[in-house]
Amino acid sequence: MRKLPYILPVLLALLVAGCGKQESDLPVNTRLGGEFTLTDHNGEPFSQAQLKGKVSILFFGYTHCPDICPAVLARVAQVYRQLQEAGEAGQVQPVFITFDPERDTAEHLKEYLPWFKADIIGLTGSLAEIREVATQYGVVFIKDQAEQDYLFTHSDYIYLLDDQGRVRKLYPADFTIDEVVTDAKSLL
Amino acid sequence: MPKACFNALLAGAVLALAVPAHAELTFSDPWLRAVPPVSPTMAGYATLNNTGEDTVIITGVSTPVAGHTMLHDVETAADGSRRMVHLHHLAIPAGESLVLAPGNRHLMLMKLTQVPAPGDSVEVCFHLNGGQDACAAFPVKRASQSDG
Ligand SMILES: [Cu+2]
Repeated sequence: MRKLPYILPVLLALLVAGCGKQESDLPVNTRLGGEFTLTDHNGEPFSQAQLKGKVSILFFGYTHCPDICPAVLARVAQVYRQLQEAGEAGQVQPVFITFDPERDTAEHLKEYLPWFKADIIGLTGSLAEIREVATQYGVVFIKDQAEQDYLFTHSDYIYLLDDQGRVRKLYPADFTIDEVVTDAKSLL
Repeated sequence: MPKACFNALLAGAVLALAVPAHAELTFSDPWLRAVPPVSPTMAGYATLNNTGEDTVIITGVSTPVAGHTMLHDVETAADGSRRMVHLHHLAIPAGESLVLAPGNRHLMLMKLTQVPAPGDSVEVCFHLNGGQDACAAFPVKRASQSDG
């Protein structure tokens, strides 16, 4: 308890420093991410280089997932809308990568994603291509053994990428909307 | 009131008391997460309260909009990856509540025959041990407070 008086000023100083920051102090994660080329929801090749110049919010999932994936999509859409209200949505791009190309074809993604009204780019590809991208981002996905209505075991991080395509922050699926909005703004 | 009638009523009341307490399951904040109309599945959430005197065991769930409805749990592996597992039944002790929430235990509506839209309401029936059903209207919403 006697240490508390010393800690408090430090905490306050940190808080003040945090509030006053202008430039993003989010570290670059050099172990995750990298170049990739997949197929977008229009059936066109899409390379990670096309995201450069924008801050992107990248996440993986599959549209047959009813619980966590739509929740993440809905929350990313809320982040997008908040940025839209701040007039900054044009510089932020949400990107959804499916790991279920069998069912999540470009056509299906094109039907599914606009409902969230967040200008989300949907990416699919061959299983091998998707697995490679997943590995780059440290995403684990395993198709559960089932004939029909199969599900996936999967990790569900959300990635904030800067305008150079570098990973700057990871969030859990139940991320705080305000936190992502603030972080995204700090990268603009 | 004729005496015979009174006696019958009394007998009925005694009989009602003698029958094991009725399973009582109530629902707080029930909702279904709205999904795009091309979705084959959707999830539902609520807090289930056992207000009765006995443990309630949920043995199944059904709704008119889904060909198949299940109770699911979410398991997190050591590497952080998550998967959904089927719960065959769920027991709630007397006086206890059980939360169905996003990323947690949830209702899983599969083989949707129609995808209800935000603003719609869907009746969901929980089948209990003993044969009764506890049903409630689940409004369809894009998000809810229990979204965290
Ligand atoms: Cu489920």
